[in-house]
Amino acid sequence: MTDVSKTASVHTGGKTDKSRSHSVSPFRIIMGKLVRDPLALTGLVIVSILVLAAVFASVIAPQDPYDLAQLDIMDGRLAPGAESFTGMTYLLGTDDQGRDLFSAILYGLRTSILVGVASAAIALLIGAAVGLLSAYAGGRTDAFLMRVVDIQLSFPAILVALILLAVLGQGVDKIILALVVTQWAYYARTIRGSALVERKRAYVDAARSMALPDRRILFRHILPNCLAPLIVVATMRVAYAIMLEATLSFLGIGLPVTEPSLGLLVSNGFEYMLSGDYWISFFPGVALLILIVAINLIGDSLRDILNPRREG
Amino acid sequence: MNNPILSVQDLTTSFRVDGQWRDVVRGVNFDIGERETVAVVGESGSGKSVTAMSIMRLLSPGNSRSAGRIEFEGKNLLDMPLDAMQSIRGNRIGMIFQEPMTSLNPVLKIGEQITEVLRQHRGMDGAQAEAEAVRLLDRVRIPSAKQRLNEYPMNFSGGMRQRVVIAIALACSPKLLIADEPTTALDVTIQAQILELIKTLQEEEGMSVLFITHDMGVVAEISDRTVVMFRGDVVETASTAEIFREARHPYSRALLSAVPQLGAMTGTDRPLRFPRVDMSSGEIQSPPATADTVRADAPPVLKVDNLVTRFPVRKGILRRVVGRIHAVEDLSFELRQGETLSLVGESGCGKSTTGRSLIRLEEPAGGAISVAGQDVRGAGHSDLTKIRRDVQMIFQDPFESLNLRIRIGDAIAEPMITHGLATRRNAEAKVTDLLERVGLSGDMISRFPHEFSGGQRQRICIARALSLEPKLIIADESVSALDVSVKAQVINLMLDLQEQYGLGYLFISHDMAVVERISHRVAVMYLGEIVEIGPRASVFENPQHPYTRKLIAAVPIADPSRRQRRLATADEIGSPYRSADFVPPKRHYREVGDGHFVMVDASEVAA
Repeated sequence: MTDVSKTASVHTGGKTDKSRSHSVSPFRIIMGKLVRDPLALTGLVIVSILVLAAVFASVIAPQDPYDLAQLDIMDGRLAPGAESFTGMTYLLGTDDQGRDLFSAILYGLRTSILVGVASAAIALLIGAAVGLLSAYAGGRTDAFLMRVVDIQLSFPAILVALILLAVLGQGVDKIILALVVTQWAYYARTIRGSALVERKRAYVDAARSMALPDRRILFRHILPNCLAPLIVVATMRVAYAIMLEATLSFLGIGLPVTEPSLGLLVSNGFEYMLSGDYWISFFPGVALLILIVAINLIGDSLRDILNPRREG
Repeated sequence: MNNPILSVQDLTTSFRVDGQWRDVVRGVNFDIGERETVAVVGESGSGKSVTAMSIMRLLSPGNSRSAGRIEFEGKNLLDMPLDAMQSIRGNRIGMIFQEPMTSLNPVLKIGEQITEVLRQHRGMDGAQAEAEAVRLLDRVRIPSAKQRLNEYPMNFSGGMRQRVVIAIALACSPKLLIADEPTTALDVTIQAQILELIKTLQEEEGMSVLFITHDMGVVAEISDRTVVMFRGDVVETASTAEIFREARHPYSRALLSAVPQLGAMTGTDRPLRFPRVDMSSGEIQSPPATADTVRADAPPVLKVDNLVTRFPVRKGILRRVVGRIHAVEDLSFELRQGETLSLVGESGCGKSTTGRSLIRLEEPAGGAISVAGQDVRGAGHSDLTKIRRDVQMIFQDPFESLNLRIRIGDAIAEPMITHGLATRRNAEAKVTDLLERVGLSGDMISRFPHEFSGGQRQRICIARALSLEPKLIIADESVSALDVSVKAQVINLMLDLQEQYGLGYLFISHDMAVVERISHRVAVMYLGEIVEIGPRASVFENPQHPYTRKLIAAVPIADPSRRQRRLATADEIGSPYRSADFVPPKRHYREVGDGHFVMVDASEVAA
């Protein structure tokens, strides 16, 4: 079948030999394909809305859920749609502290996304550097670095994070650090795999035969060609990091109670579930679910688009 | 022809590309008579493979459609239901593909893959099928067929796999065999064997053959009639003899004049450009003669003494060396400025490893290399940088050797800037100039590699190599992946540049006919050794070593009147693998002419 598509593309390629003054960047091509996939488009729209809502949380939210002075314990555990004494409507109800859940979810989203993206980005940088170095150096360096990766990956992520947080204590920076430690190895493994393949390609030989410096070959020639799988892994890992953070917060060792993230909100409402006050856990849980599913939709579609076998 | 086996009438096949239907093959007509071989010849994008796939109805129905009639044994294949088609495919019409590496299932034994077809289509039981499988393997001349039934495809060489594929195609005694570039991926001596095999089998079985190829030499060897295709249209249909004697269409003429013909250069010393054909009038313009570029007075630009490159083969937990691939063994040669030395040989002969070893892309294990007087093997980092500037490499696959994510202007400027031959400011002017020198336009500078055709990309690679003002260019199978007409243009360009810059070329190729055209001197390699080296005229007109003779005899001759039959042998190319304690014997050469050396046995030297 490949033969046919090749013949076809060569054929059409010969015909459309008009001179284009500028070329389309790979990023625009990928975005174009993403938008054409209805599932990915749905994911993209949802993630954009959630990110915007999180960024502008302080503008949108009727209440600052972290400002204890604004909370009224009298408004505790109000059902969705209930009104407070001051005449404010709690759209999604309140938690046991009298916190407006809608506001709390917006602020929680902000924390979750910040933690997820920041930890994924830092882990990506570290992992990519290690993976590239490993693939390019080869030999003992490669063997050593990959054994470190193996050891790292053989511990369950949640266990490593639990231990780290138990030692370091609570806080956004601490949880990002814990997530980076548990995640970098995935990136290292991924990029090493693709860099090993790329290193054997003729364009790298060509670059070496022109005596280009190693640094340049590594970062300008090999790295950009390894980005595709890395982007896919990064997307999926952001979702995973958000989930892990929620789990840790749920267990009560992630973020302080005064600054609840989505996981902590779920945890807070957990004890009232059986007494019928479902909303305290339910709405933050739904927000988390939507965010993660949407990110994974994008990731799935990216994996299809960036799959070299499908590249036309 | 009264009763054609297959009759293709007004076949038009279209593909859906980005939601639009495009005709890939338009109004194709041809017949194949009983026991006749018809070749469909054309370059990539001509629609020749699509024609074959349309006949077999192998194109995916969702994004392709065919119109017209394809009559086989009185029935129209195009409006036949797919399950009826199943009983024709592989049964009445057999098909063999280009890539013998992928057309067999790697996890099934050869025997199972053959008997599977026999049980399915001919209803044989286990024992019958096995006996028949042995008979089929015998027919395709696979030695000790019975034992080989239990082996996996990985144990077979490319040529042997193609024999197995042919055996499977023959399993149901088809009336028609469609062969889609069946020898393109094979070495020339193996190609000769397979072509001979197909001819012999055709006589024995009384089949008709539809042979798809891009190689006019193969056409001349095998086909009775020829269909020439160009961009989806049939431009000429005639008997093969007629096409080669007096092709009418300008494109057929262009195709023929671009075919290197072994033996066409008898009596000349210098390389020769390919003639150009005017595409509107079909007139052939004879090319200007090349100037004498060899600087015999100056010291050689490249000197190689007893070069050895081996690859260790390791096994076990301790990764002990259990053997070595002797890729390059005791190689010595010189190359002067403005001279083209070709390294020619079949796959695994070490010609590419030699090229890579010269600039230490592979680390040699022994011997000495000097480039313009500079020692390569002992060179430190800065010396190696200088050497890699003087010696440039052009690779086989122009799709692979350009980084797809870098604009071509940047790709050409990058080495110049790195080596301080240009600044960021004046790089663009230099790149524009280089692009124009290799026959491209300067305004293509900001395009990405995927926007170019194979030939254009190879020109870009040449421009990039030239940007460092090298003394020597190693061209590693640089024109092998290109279509014939494009190949001719790129070779002409290389000859032009040699005159302009006095470049030395180390031209690595498996294609004897191209080598004859471009070289001043030729070195024939076999299993890592040079078996014969000398001036081109002398080596080609008076080959001394048996392997050189075999190689020359195996090249298809692009002249149907000189068609010859060969013996249907099944010789294989040897393996350069040796055990770890192997000590290679000393090589001896005898001078048989002026600068013409031939390897001889040690016993002969003693005598």
